[in-house]
Amino acid sequence: MFAVHGFWSGDGLSLWAEDSDLPTSTSSQAVRSVRPHPFAATADALTGLLPGTPTTAELQLPSQRSAPLDSPELLRVNPRRATRVDPVLSSWRVPAVRLEGAAGLAWLTDPGQVAARFGASVTHLRDLARFARDLAERGRVLPAVTPTGTGGVAHWRPVLQGPDALAQHRLVAALPPVSRAAGGQGDARAIVDEALHRLTDAAVRERLAEAGSLLPARRGRRPTVEPVADAWLGALTGPDGRFAAPPDGVARLAQALSPWAQLGSGEDEPARATFRLVEPPADATPAVDTPQPWRLEFLLQSTTDPSLLIPAPQAWDGGGPLRRWVDRPQELLLTELGRASRLYPALATGLRSARPDHLDLDHADALEFLTVAAPALDEAGFGMLMPNWWRRRRPLGLRMTSSTPTDAAATEGRFGRDQVADFEWRLALGDESLTDAEIEAIAATKAPLVRLRGQWVAVDPEQLRRGLDFLEREGTGRTTAAQVLALAATHPEDVDLPLRVSGIEADGWLGALLAGTTAEQLEPVAPTERLRANLRPYQERGLSWLTFLSRVGLGACLADDMGLGKTLQLLALEATERDGTDEAAEHLPSLLLCPMSLIGNWQAEVRKFAPHLRLHVHHGPQRLSGPDLTDRLAETDIVVTTYSTATRDIDDLEPVSWNRVVLDEAQAIKNRHSRAAKAVGRLQARHRVALTGTPVENRLGELWSIMNFLNPGLLGSPETFRARYAIPVERHADTDAAVRLRQVTRPYLLRRVKTDPAIIDDLPEKIEVKQYYRLTTEQASLYQSVVDDMMDRIAGSDGIERRGNVLAAMTKLKQVCNHPAQLLHERSAVGRRSGKVIRLEEIVEEILAEDDRALLFTQYAGFAELVVPHLAARFGTDVLYLHGGTPRAARERMVERFQSDQGPPMFVLSLKAGGTGLNLTAANHVIHLDRWWNPAVENQATDRAFRIGQKRNVQVRKFIGTGTLEEKIDTLLEEKAALADMVVSDGEGWLTELSTGDLRELFTLSEGAVGE
Amino acid sequence: MNDRFFPTGKPRAVQGGIKARSSRGAIAQTWWGERFIAVLERAGIGGRLQRGKTYARKGQVISMEVTAGRVDAVVQGSRPKPYRVRIGAPAFGKAEWAAVESELAGSAWYLARLLAGEMPADIEEVFSKVGLSLFPKGPQELSMDCTCPDWGVPCKHVAAAIYLLAESFDDDPFRILAWRGRTREDLLAKLTIASGGGAPAGAGAAAPESPDVPLADLLDSYFTLQGALPGPSPAAAVGILVQAPDVDVTVRGQALTALLAPAYRDLAD
Repeated sequence: MFAVHGFWSGDGLSLWAEDSDLPTSTSSQAVRSVRPHPFAATADALTGLLPGTPTTAELQLPSQRSAPLDSPELLRVNPRRATRVDPVLSSWRVPAVRLEGAAGLAWLTDPGQVAARFGASVTHLRDLARFARDLAERGRVLPAVTPTGTGGVAHWRPVLQGPDALAQHRLVAALPPVSRAAGGQGDARAIVDEALHRLTDAAVRERLAEAGSLLPARRGRRPTVEPVADAWLGALTGPDGRFAAPPDGVARLAQALSPWAQLGSGEDEPARATFRLVEPPADATPAVDTPQPWRLEFLLQSTTDPSLLIPAPQAWDGGGPLRRWVDRPQELLLTELGRASRLYPALATGLRSARPDHLDLDHADALEFLTVAAPALDEAGFGMLMPNWWRRRRPLGLRMTSSTPTDAAATEGRFGRDQVADFEWRLALGDESLTDAEIEAIAATKAPLVRLRGQWVAVDPEQLRRGLDFLEREGTGRTTAAQVLALAATHPEDVDLPLRVSGIEADGWLGALLAGTTAEQLEPVAPTERLRANLRPYQERGLSWLTFLSRVGLGACLADDMGLGKTLQLLALEATERDGTDEAAEHLPSLLLCPMSLIGNWQAEVRKFAPHLRLHVHHGPQRLSGPDLTDRLAETDIVVTTYSTATRDIDDLEPVSWNRVVLDEAQAIKNRHSRAAKAVGRLQARHRVALTGTPVENRLGELWSIMNFLNPGLLGSPETFRARYAIPVERHADTDAAVRLRQVTRPYLLRRVKTDPAIIDDLPEKIEVKQYYRLTTEQASLYQSVVDDMMDRIAGSDGIERRGNVLAAMTKLKQVCNHPAQLLHERSAVGRRSGKVIRLEEIVEEILAEDDRALLFTQYAGFAELVVPHLAARFGTDVLYLHGGTPRAARERMVERFQSDQGPPMFVLSLKAGGTGLNLTAANHVIHLDRWWNPAVENQATDRAFRIGQKRNVQVRKFIGTGTLEEKIDTLLEEKAALADMVVSDGEGWLTELSTGDLRELFTLSEGAVGE
Repeated sequence: MNDRFFPTGKPRAVQGGIKARSSRGAIAQTWWGERFIAVLERAGIGGRLQRGKTYARKGQVISMEVTAGRVDAVVQGSRPKPYRVRIGAPAFGKAEWAAVESELAGSAWYLARLLAGEMPADIEEVFSKVGLSLFPKGPQELSMDCTCPDWGVPCKHVAAAIYLLAESFDDDPFRILAWRGRTREDLLAKLTIASGGGAPAGAGAAAPESPDVPLADLLDSYFTLQGALPGPSPAAAVGILVQAPDVDVTVRGQALTALLAPAYRDLAD
């Protein structure tokens, strides 16, 4: 297992890693010299892991006499013994890879899937790279030149003012010491400055790459010597900033650019000017307004102590407490105000007095200040104290109320999207419609800022006039439900109305849909009696919601937390709907797409809950096509296939008219450019459903992909979605955009979390789930050869020897199911060789996404030692591991850590060591990685989490490989449940009593065991 | 015209001389720099300033000092001993400055702009109100001397000094006032006192940033973040070019800022 660390030096990023598989100490006792780091990843291992040019680095690391200490990210299956000796700094040489400028930026932005855990130094640099990109995109950069011996280097430097300067300070303060560990490194500030400068330059160049050179076309003849400025400007784009020029020319250029050098260079004045806008007193009515009722006050704010704010009059009188930091507050105030007047020319008026301390503004001025000047001043680093209401302001807009006629005749019997709806538009402030009296009052005041319901509202008189005209002409009318829904999803900027749409309200089902309360308000739909399950109340609400959206013809995304039964709700929908349709109606099959690892699950769940539904698995090399497939579909209710099979067979599936297309684990189409996403878009269906526990895993663009599948066009084009929602929300934490996105999607999205009080009472304390998965081809052939070999041996032996052979066969087969490397005793990368591990990763991902914690039990130390580092690297987190050899003290520490608030999310335990005496109620998931054919042992382990003190519901998962002995024994146990308790109470011995024929049956791999 | 009577050997190279930064185009970039040049042009010597350009760019001007009423420069020519250049203009007297200062004290605007590096456009009115002219009215107020044997007025040494003077006025408008008899410090002291401020505080300025904690003291948290990382930044409000002061760089006849504008648009896309 690798832990990757990084540091910035000069122009580039250097990465190195620790490797937990290497010995922990060096034989060299030469404490004073630079020794090779004993467990640093070798140059070969490093280049296999990371891109870049191989090199070495010397690092100062906290060390004991013979070895550096581990970083906290490095996870050892067998932890090093703690010593009582205080660590000291020693020098170590490590192999490293180096990535210059643009390559460094690319890796930090997206390192891809690295089979390693990242240390805090990498996390820090990645955030720094994000900041650099952000500065570039916001244009907070200026070009500069640095002279070299033969010319100069053209580069873009970050301009850090206001919030950006603060961000840079934080990056400096947060820098992990190890980032300064490389030999000859400067201080934290210098390192952050250099890295930020270089990464910003790379980010700007990347963004300008498409546009090409900034040089204008040459007019006139080509000069004999290229002017320095030409060469410099040319070098501001393209990969390399170096250019050749005479040194004195470069020096002159640097001089000419010097006015820019001070701007946002991160060197702070001891104090800055701050502006406070004071609104007119509340009792001033528009009628008795003074001409300039707003006041813009000037203040000085200390940089060192931002809570120290000195009003201008006090600065004029000498500065008071500010004198501690500022020699001449008057001069500083004037300089700052002079600087501000460049950005805000109207400020000049306020400076025309001997001791300026404020500026009077009329309504139009105040509006101009709020909307134009304030953001500019803020960004330039001036302080801004704005009225509170300005941050929560609601613009004047139009609000639609629509109602569906209660008169049955008026609806013409239509229900759903085509249903007729009456609408009325009204002027509104945010969610609140305005009264006629208020509208009259606004129209009467000619001021651009009007006080309304306790807040100031910007009113453009021309816009208002057109708005009122619109209300007069088209204020009421009749439309369809579909159009109301479409309008609700449209971005305000795309609606052709004189004022922005501030809300849409409706009654009845339409209203519930828009408000996202459909699931609670609907008449519950009773599931068909043929469904062999009792739905919990929230599942019934889910069924009603799905049924309703299906009837209205709207795509639905069911995004319940894992373990809440999305599969069951979907099957209830299919079964109930099919039960209700009359015989004469055309039979249409539904198509369900899922990851390969889940096919077994769907098969099992259909068998269990709705065995009467006719299921067809379209998968594997023997799958049907053409007319055979068509014939089969005629007598099938649900077709289950994988994303990749559907993508491959899209030409066969596209012409089919489906009742419903369901995407399970719909995040599979999160990348809209992926072949799967394009393929599912081509499927024709009456209704579309997406099931996912994590509708947004990483980026909002994923939500777009899912929503666009469900209701094409709803969220507009991917580009406008990115500009309006993804960038504002992800990059600038814009809450308005986030609220708007939630509003637009909520009619089509139902998400319940298991911590929701309304759900929690509905849930049983323990949910047991059988987790089906499929073997990889490698596993299957290995499995087969074990069966062949062992069956020969069993047939040729008897007595104790036979029993031994049976148990050995079982063990080997269980190991194959776990991971080929476990059987073969390999120490190679885990890779994607085990269907079980692949499925496990998917489940862990969901568990972590929900901020839950899990206990993972296995009988095999070999498997634990494989899985523990793999999970730690894959998810970048600590994984605890407790086994039979763990000393008592270490055990207690681990339990304590796991139970603490910030404890690691995963705890792997050997079934025997972890079976008793532990209280691990911080976990609400229990995963049995392999089966112990004795329910009592498993239950005892499960009870670690499910104990007194557990406040949440516990989900228990048992892995079962489709078609393997895991599944067969599971079936055996189920069938003989009553008997099993008695028969198998003494472990796995009972299996050895089976006849050779029965054993062959039990061991042989059945159909459908292998995935793709 | 009579240059040829004298040896026209190459000027001796100067180490660390003051170099002009503008490589082409007009000398002065600001309105006040332009006003200064305009005075010289009215004196009929504007055109001859070009002669000093090469000198100024090469860095032949060894030093230049602006004091009340005069500019003294030392310029290296082709002879071993550098020439002394003096550009004189009468400085205002105490009473005259008192009148100006009382006008300036009434409106902080002037000082604010000056401190922000700009000569306020309406400052000339302040001087004319008290019967003065900020810029020399004409050639009769100016005197130009050089110790070189060249008869041309101005000689290239004077021209080079004027050239650099115009640039230095661009950089710091306070220098014009200093030339007319009031240094920045005097003016600030007079004006802050005039507007009621106290004497400068004796206390030190901002405390220097604390240096990094030595690595050896951080062994317990060696691999961990020492603080919270910054969150996402708010969206941009205005382009940086609006805020940036003017620079005197042209490329192929076009202003740098105009050429950069499309790049900033591309960055935002």
